[in-house]
Amino acid sequence: MLKRKMFRDIRFNLSQFITIFLMVFMGVMVYAGIRSYMDGMTKTADIFYEDNNLQDLEAIGENFTDEDLKQIKDIEHIKNAERKLTVMGTMENEEERTLQVNFIESNEISKFYVKDGKAFDKSKKGVWLDEYYAKNNNLKVGDTIKIKYEKETLEEEIIGLINVPDHVYDIKDESEIFPNHIDYGFCYLSINEFPENIIKQEIMKKMNVTDETIFNTAMPDFRAQDYLIYNYVMIDVDNEENKNNVKNQIEEKIENAIAVTDIKDSISYSSYQGEVEEGETYVGVFTGLFLFIAMLSVITTMTRVVKKQRTQIGTLKALGFKKGKITNHYVGYGLWISLLASLLGLIIGPLFIGNLFMGMEMEYFQIPNGKAVISTSSFIVAIMVVLVVSIVTYITCRKELKENPAETLRAEMPKVKQNSLNITTKGIFKKMSFSSKWNARDILRNKMRTAMGIAGITGCCMLLVCAFGMLDTMNNFIETQFEKLFNFDYKLTLKSGYSDEVFEELTKKYGDSTSQSLGIEIKEGDEKQSNNIFVDDSKESVRFLNHDGEYIKLSDNGIYVTEKLAETKGYKIGDKISWHIYGEEKYYESEIVGFDRNPQNQNIKMTKKYLENLGIEYKPDSIYTNEDLSKIKEIDGVELIQDKNALEEGMLSMINTMQTMVVLLIIVAAILGGVIIYNLGILSFTEKQYQFATLKVLGFKNKKIKKIYIKQNNWITIISIVLGLPLGFFMVDFIFKMALSDTYDFSAKIKIASYAYAIVGTYIVSFVFSKILAKKVRKIDMVTSLKGNE
Amino acid sequence: MGELIRFNNVKKTYNIGEKSFNALDGVDFGINKGEFVVILGPSGAGKSTLLNLLGGMDKATSGEIVIGGETISNYNDSELTDYRAENIGFIFQFYNILPTLTVLENVELINDIVKNPKSAKQILKEVGLEKHYNKFPNQLSGGEQQRVSIARAIAKNPLLLLCDEPTGALDSKTGVEVLKLLKKQCDSNNGENTVIIVTHNSLIAEVADRVIKLKNGKVESNQINENPKKIEEVNW
Repeated sequence: MLKRKMFRDIRFNLSQFITIFLMVFMGVMVYAGIRSYMDGMTKTADIFYEDNNLQDLEAIGENFTDEDLKQIKDIEHIKNAERKLTVMGTMENEEERTLQVNFIESNEISKFYVKDGKAFDKSKKGVWLDEYYAKNNNLKVGDTIKIKYEKETLEEEIIGLINVPDHVYDIKDESEIFPNHIDYGFCYLSINEFPENIIKQEIMKKMNVTDETIFNTAMPDFRAQDYLIYNYVMIDVDNEENKNNVKNQIEEKIENAIAVTDIKDSISYSSYQGEVEEGETYVGVFTGLFLFIAMLSVITTMTRVVKKQRTQIGTLKALGFKKGKITNHYVGYGLWISLLASLLGLIIGPLFIGNLFMGMEMEYFQIPNGKAVISTSSFIVAIMVVLVVSIVTYITCRKELKENPAETLRAEMPKVKQNSLNITTKGIFKKMSFSSKWNARDILRNKMRTAMGIAGITGCCMLLVCAFGMLDTMNNFIETQFEKLFNFDYKLTLKSGYSDEVFEELTKKYGDSTSQSLGIEIKEGDEKQSNNIFVDDSKESVRFLNHDGEYIKLSDNGIYVTEKLAETKGYKIGDKISWHIYGEEKYYESEIVGFDRNPQNQNIKMTKKYLENLGIEYKPDSIYTNEDLSKIKEIDGVELIQDKNALEEGMLSMINTMQTMVVLLIIVAAILGGVIIYNLGILSFTEKQYQFATLKVLGFKNKKIKKIYIKQNNWITIISIVLGLPLGFFMVDFIFKMALSDTYDFSAKIKIASYAYAIVGTYIVSFVFSKILAKKVRKIDMVTSLKGNE
Repeated sequence: MGELIRFNNVKKTYNIGEKSFNALDGVDFGINKGEFVVILGPSGAGKSTLLNLLGGMDKATSGEIVIGGETISNYNDSELTDYRAENIGFIFQFYNILPTLTVLENVELINDIVKNPKSAKQILKEVGLEKHYNKFPNQLSGGEQQRVSIARAIAKNPLLLLCDEPTGALDSKTGVEVLKLLKKQCDSNNGENTVIIVTHNSLIAEVADRVIKLKNGKVESNQINENPKKIEEVNW
């Protein structure tokens, strides 16, 4: 019978139960969905790296010989090593499409994941092409592509479409944030396909021979493969902890190795890792807060439902139902609904939200078989949610059952504890208006309800601050980077090994604002940390900011490190650091003379003069100019022309994605805040109804009673806003500090206007729902309300 | 003295589901200014409904209610609110005082709706509660709470004081005290104040100037009591 009652109750209180269902469902769905996406990211990559044997270390050099490879393989703890010849090519007739071309001898390390076509075979002609690049350029297995490298053109048939574990995240250069897979990709060929002519020309240049016939007679046994210039060695180490040891040994023994880097420091690996870590913070902060507010609204609604059943509980008890049976009946309400909603959330979340986000990520990151993974934590959260709902129902129900049936059969009357209200008859309370006193005491009597209300509205306000604040912070970052630090229109990246004539010509045409980047290693005890030095001769085309956002001029007597770097490494002004340029043995010692702040890049800076004082030749690799280059595609001696505005627009487009999220946040905040205000209002209404009826009888106008009723919500809203604004700021700050990897340095920057929006937004939500609630005052029927009390 | 209240064929019908029920079924009577009136009747006779109509808490289904020359049966909600605020004092069986306001505050509440109310402290003194200004209602006895309610009602110096079983929840000794206060209110202001008590306790009728008996939603009798007893004389 009680079961039948349950179904009917659910039907009669459908809107409340739908609220509970939806809130639990949404809370669990968002949590499980985003969690499964994060776990999917980690798991998918782990599997890919493991199955396809991502290298542990990578040696960079100019020419690794057979002997070098043999020596490397002989080093203890090295399981395997493979050489790679990597060059940059372009697609013929489509010069804006760049391909990283790799020539390999075997494929045991960083093995191909062949999506389509054949596995690697040294003896095969043809090219294994980046699957994403192929997809975005409509290329298939069997098609032929022409790759231009120097003066040679390789015409190759595509024999495989592949993903490779060290090409998870591939960008042309640092100016790009998101890979687009349209104008940049990678491909692999057998080393046999390397154009012989290039090697021949190279050797002839070295021998100072211009005539090929002379060369042929001079070297009758010339075999191109003996002169191949491998520039990378991929190394598979047996154990993570032996990495450092192996790295040092290679650097010591192999003269041709300029540097040995950990794969974890590679852009591909660390960017993906960064994305995962960034996501982790979002997940923690957002889903946590979301779940919390959703639970608040569920709890308030559930309490409301049980309280509404008060007289029925009394009746059941009077009829002789055992306490346990009644409790079970009501706990059933919360249990079944939240269980059903949680289960659905657990299924739908990973399926849709999880895979949606995974899909979005896998557009950028090249990992096969990316899918969401449901983790145990989602199950735990779901169980917790069901438990919390059931326990809250249990407690509320027990509270009602404690009273004797006669009591419970009556509408609930406010109980006044003298002690707790005594304070309100003195001091400032004395001067309060009647309605303020009434509300102040109502709050004191219902501390829990008030606390829930404040928590809910504060959360709502925080989400709003966060939504606007994230946009502000991103905009501020872009402004700092592109308006403050970059004081040029175009950046020209020079080809390495340019001649003096070419350089002179370029500076004549485009000005002499230049810079050089030096790859270095910093010695820290026994460890070496890689970093880079920006050598400035840009004549303020590139500017520097101090902590307070003021411009600084670099002095010539030392180095500057970025604040974030100094913070992570514990550098202080006056400290000396010891460093060497990659590929050179000589160490330099430099004193830190200042800090600067850079949102995107944590490195070391010095002036050209300081560099030259150290006895190092300044060899610029970039020219900055304000000339209009919008129509120029190619400049002799220039590898890359970058348009600052295009870069800025690229960044801004990233903000568009964020805007969608912001809108979502605002809607969620509004709904949650509204539901909580409404529920709390309804909860308190039954007991207030009788008092309001009394006021009405006394001759108070509806408007006045409404004002009294809403006053409390207004107070709660004001307190919540006061709390929510700073908390919202900290939340944004936390997100940007924690979510972004060490290379980024930007703290929350929220405009006054955004705070204003958050205030107005929170207030509107509170106001609208208060208005809806206040409508109930008009409907109070004096006669029945007063009767109900008798 | 002139007539203050006039009911002409007043009906009040409640619809419960598909059935309808006449709580008042064509009621006619008049009450003069300054009278101490008792409306008697068994439960279900329509006493409370009558009182609710008099107090402007409810609207008649048909008929005419004239009070002080104004036809209040034509009033809308807002006019009724003003009417209640200016003219009516209410006293209920269960006091209906606000539990979160102190004794003094419950009476001072009237300051928010009436322009020239009597001094709350003065009135509380008159009903003998001068020592309890800062207490909350639940610290008072039933009789004391009812006195707060009376103080609140007479603070606005109402034309008409309506009492619904004012002694119903009190022991007889306290009940007598309360009746005395109500009588005193009726006699003050040069005997211009009218007090109407709804009760099923026929003993109270002995002290009334006028007794109206209700039965099944109709007026059974409406009699002037030529020699009302003094409250002390009634054998409670």
